[in-house]
Amino acid sequence: MAFKIASSPHVSTSLHTNTVMKRVALCLIPGIAVQSYYFGLGTLIQLFLAVSVAYLAEAAVMKLRHKNIKATLSDNSALVTASLLAVAIPPLAPWWLIVIGTLFAIVIVKQLYGGLGNNVFNPAMAAYVLLLISFPVQMTSWVAPQTIALNHADLVSSLQSIFELNAQYSAEYFRTGVDGITMATPLDTLKTDLSMGLTTTESLAKPIFSGMTTQSWFWVNMAYLAGGLIMLKLKVIRWHISGAIIASVFVCASFGFLISPDTFVSPLMHLFSGGTMLAAFFIATDPVTAATSPRGRLIFGAMIGVLIYLIRTFGGYPDAVAFAVLLANMCAPFIDYYVRPRSYGHRTGN
Amino acid sequence: MLTILEQLDKGSLWQSPGGIHPPQLKTLSNQSAISRLPLAKRFVVPVPLVGEQATLTVTVGDKVLKGQILTEGAGFTYLPVHAPTSGQIIAIKQHATNHPSSLPTLSCIIEADGQDTWCDLTPNSLNQLSKPQILDKIKQAGIAGMGGAAFPSHVKLNPASEIDLVIINGIECEPYITSDDRLMRDHSHEIMSGVGVINHLLNPQRIIIAIEDNKPEAAQAMQDALNRSDLPKGVVRVTVIPTKYPSGGEKQLIQIITGKEVPSGAIPAQLGIVVHNVGTAYAIQEAIYQGKPLIERVVTLTGEHIGQPGNYWLPIGTTVADALQSVKFIESAEQKVIVGGPMMGYALAELDVPILKGTNCLLVPSQNEIAPDVDEKACIRCGECAVACPALLLPQQLFWHAKAEEYDKAASFNLKDCIECGCCSYVCPSDIPLVEYYRVAKSALKIEAEEKRQAEQAKIRFETRLQRLEDEKNAREAKAKEAAAKRQANMKSSDKDAVAAAMARIAAKKAQVTTAPSTASSTETATQTSQAVVDPKKAAVNAAIERAKAKKAAQASAARNDTLDSTSESVIVDDKQAKIAAAVARAKAKKAAQINQTDMVPTEVEPSTDIIDDKKARVAAAVANAKAKKITKENQTDETALAPQPTAEIESTTDIEASTDPIDDKKARVAAAVAKAKAKKLAQANQTDVTILAPHPTTDIESTTDLEATTDLIDDKKARVAVAVAKAKAKKLAQANQADEADTTIESIANDSITAQHTETPPTLKHEIASGSDTRLIINDDSAAYLTPEQIKKAKVAAAVAKAKAKKLAKSAEQEEH
Repeated sequence: MAFKIASSPHVSTSLHTNTVMKRVALCLIPGIAVQSYYFGLGTLIQLFLAVSVAYLAEAAVMKLRHKNIKATLSDNSALVTASLLAVAIPPLAPWWLIVIGTLFAIVIVKQLYGGLGNNVFNPAMAAYVLLLISFPVQMTSWVAPQTIALNHADLVSSLQSIFELNAQYSAEYFRTGVDGITMATPLDTLKTDLSMGLTTTESLAKPIFSGMTTQSWFWVNMAYLAGGLIMLKLKVIRWHISGAIIASVFVCASFGFLISPDTFVSPLMHLFSGGTMLAAFFIATDPVTAATSPRGRLIFGAMIGVLIYLIRTFGGYPDAVAFAVLLANMCAPFIDYYVRPRSYGHRTGN
Repeated sequence: MLTILEQLDKGSLWQSPGGIHPPQLKTLSNQSAISRLPLAKRFVVPVPLVGEQATLTVTVGDKVLKGQILTEGAGFTYLPVHAPTSGQIIAIKQHATNHPSSLPTLSCIIEADGQDTWCDLTPNSLNQLSKPQILDKIKQAGIAGMGGAAFPSHVKLNPASEIDLVIINGIECEPYITSDDRLMRDHSHEIMSGVGVINHLLNPQRIIIAIEDNKPEAAQAMQDALNRSDLPKGVVRVTVIPTKYPSGGEKQLIQIITGKEVPSGAIPAQLGIVVHNVGTAYAIQEAIYQGKPLIERVVTLTGEHIGQPGNYWLPIGTTVADALQSVKFIESAEQKVIVGGPMMGYALAELDVPILKGTNCLLVPSQNEIAPDVDEKACIRCGECAVACPALLLPQQLFWHAKAEEYDKAASFNLKDCIECGCCSYVCPSDIPLVEYYRVAKSALKIEAEEKRQAEQAKIRFETRLQRLEDEKNAREAKAKEAAAKRQANMKSSDKDAVAAAMARIAAKKAQVTTAPSTASSTETATQTSQAVVDPKKAAVNAAIERAKAKKAAQASAARNDTLDSTSESVIVDDKQAKIAAAVARAKAKKAAQINQTDMVPTEVEPSTDIIDDKKARVAAAVANAKAKKITKENQTDETALAPQPTAEIESTTDIEASTDPIDDKKARVAAAVAKAKAKKLAQANQTDVTILAPHPTTDIESTTDLEATTDLIDDKKARVAVAVAKAKAKKLAQANQADEADTTIESIANDSITAQHTETPPTLKHEIASGSDTRLIINDDSAAYLTPEQIKKAKVAAAVAKAKAKKLAKSAEQEEH
């Protein structure tokens, strides 16, 4: 008789990579829902586009690499990457933007580095930065939020806008937008205003900060926070990175705000505006490109938080999540090398 | 320590990092008391120490009793082996053992007689024995750690340093296993007696009996036994700790109980702590109070594929197959039989392996109880493994380096502190068999360390050898120098002349090569009078050749030859050589000869080789005349390759050198003759044979020229024969035949020479040889001169015979061949 030989342990948990990834994607749903509510169905179209392109691209690369296409696609990592990119870009951005971004993320940033587990940079953020640098106009034009999603851009007009079926598109098109409803984000406006010598109070008095706009961004962030908390509860992520980002952004912003409330934005504005929560729970927590030890992750998260604040306040871009994450990605191996936990029996000074 | 003692008494516990909570599945086997299985027919008792520390006390065919010692030996960690039952030893051979590798180990195969008769046992009580006697009794009972590692217990009970704390390990944190659980429930009193023995031996400040909170019955039983026992109350304590895998690990348990960490690479005794398993305590008690050696243990037989899961007393040496057979083992496809628990156990490759002292469980799971075999996926560096690691390692980094085979880097992440508990693999979402990677890396590091050690040793050996060789070389050189100096002193007279002559020849040769007009300069260099002694001979030979083939040139050189006879001036020699060169050119072997000669000159340094080369050049010319230019050229190159070797060795007189000359000279003739006979190819083959044969005699410096001359004759004759055969138009056949003859005729030299009677030599040839002999006579080369005419004659004879009997020979050759 032949007996099966295997190395111990002979049992394992049921939480597999594909489940983890699937849960991350599912936890994005509250955020996506709120985003769609305020900014229209464009986000969903972008999401559909991104996921399709991501799967196609990954399948093509797997074919070229002579690897098991099904096994790779079923790990759901492409799904998460595509989703993150889709929610990060403006909802009514033209279709080629998301296609270029997704292809770059999957083919270049992820697969050319060896596929899942081997990429140095967060694929979604690397793609986001590529798009932001290459197509700054399209990447900073957000639709003005509306209470009732169906009110401003219905499915058909969103599709028309995204696929540029409307012949009158141009760079200006996104400024005026579909019926003149696109606009800069609150952070963008604030930054521009501050650079023009306005105080935060003056700037915040602008219509963009009253009512819908600030409120919409606040709720979007709250939704991502909720999704993040679910992930924590499901042990899909550990608290270290998210906690460190939120804490460091809060500390930095409070510090600046206390020194000069007129020229620095309030900590709450920092935490619940832009992509802070999305970054803290969904982007920076990508384990592949983060530091691995608990202490390392605290440093990694704190670094992202500080960078977000610094770039937002002193840098040239209104939001800084993507840059902060990529810079921290670069440091992750360095952090891992120097921040090692003390192993059992290696007590210092013993 | 005081505060720690207080905390121990309070029952405070510390947190051990990492760990997991796998499903326990202990109820499968802990529902009934420990029972016995029918005695097996055959037992396999490994005696691995035999040959190292021990010898066998039994032989094949011996009858043994239950508990009888099978080995005796000495050594710190030596443990005797006992017969598990009464019966007969039917074999002592290599048998697969209970190990992941199933590697064969020397084992006694015992056929049970079914009586199970005990040998004589000597029960004692503690106060009858001294501590060394108790330790010896424990050692003689063969007690090893029952928790799995099977480390000899007497060693741990006799530590070098003071022991403050003894932990009795009843944790049993692995899922499925309940052998300690049941032992504590069913034999708590006996365990407590064993604890008493340990207390007596080590006299620690505290003894903690640690039990996980998933075994409340066991903890209660132990508490009751403790209350009933006469052990000092303040010393022994039952502590219940939270269930977590791997709390039962020695280091983890120490951390939980005391908050201390065993330093990396150290043993707990250095902290004043010793950990013993409850099973060991039971066995110690059996050994002291019953006198029984450790020949059976409780084994949990569990898993969904065991019909009657539970705990059983199994004699050590019972085969896994027998044990499983008696509990209704259900075998399925791809069945795993795991020794130990699901976390750290290993799967067996075959079942005919024995239960050992450390075998606490046999797990026979169904497919849905264990993880399916899935392909490992990419590590996403989620870090869950690091969270689960009880040794606070970074398993993902270890994996990364282990997979890349960067074992030194893996080692820098404290790979050696990995206890292989399997927590990392358990939590890995990518199904990576992390522990397997670490095992591979660990063995690689072990091998590397061993190789490094060996290389270090080899290096030392090598350096010593180099030094020795160097010393020897120096000694040799010194000796050679001494010998050379001696020779120099001895050579003062004739030998020195020879050397000088050789030097002159080199100079002459150089002059000859450059062109004839350079004679003047070469004359200046050559001043030694004795040079003439050697050179004339050479020159004469050359001259002879020239005369034969190119009459004009030959005449000129002959005149000079005469002058040479009277004088022994080197000037003349060089002059003559220059002329010879001219003659060679004239001899119409312009291109071939020239190329040959120039090729040869740069390579030849040895004085003695010059003679041959020079001659060879002539031969080339002759052969060229014979219109076999290309062929002979090839021949000559062959000759050059062969000739220098023997001549280089010749350090003695010119006589021997001279004797080589005739051989080659003759060969050249032969070549010419053959060529003329239009059997070009044949001759070529023949000549090569000749060259191969000829040089050999010259290597024997002591041998006479007569002998050499005879070989010449043979070759010469052969050549004639070749010609004849060729003429007989049996070219191909004859060629083969000749080759045969060349080998065979050597033995029949005498006969051949006798047959040589009638000769018809061309006048030119005669003349040439005569002049050659003349010169030789002048050189005082008596033997050579004496031989040459004979040679000639014989050669002629051979030719005649060959011509006369060409056809017959060819025919006979043909016959011989077939």
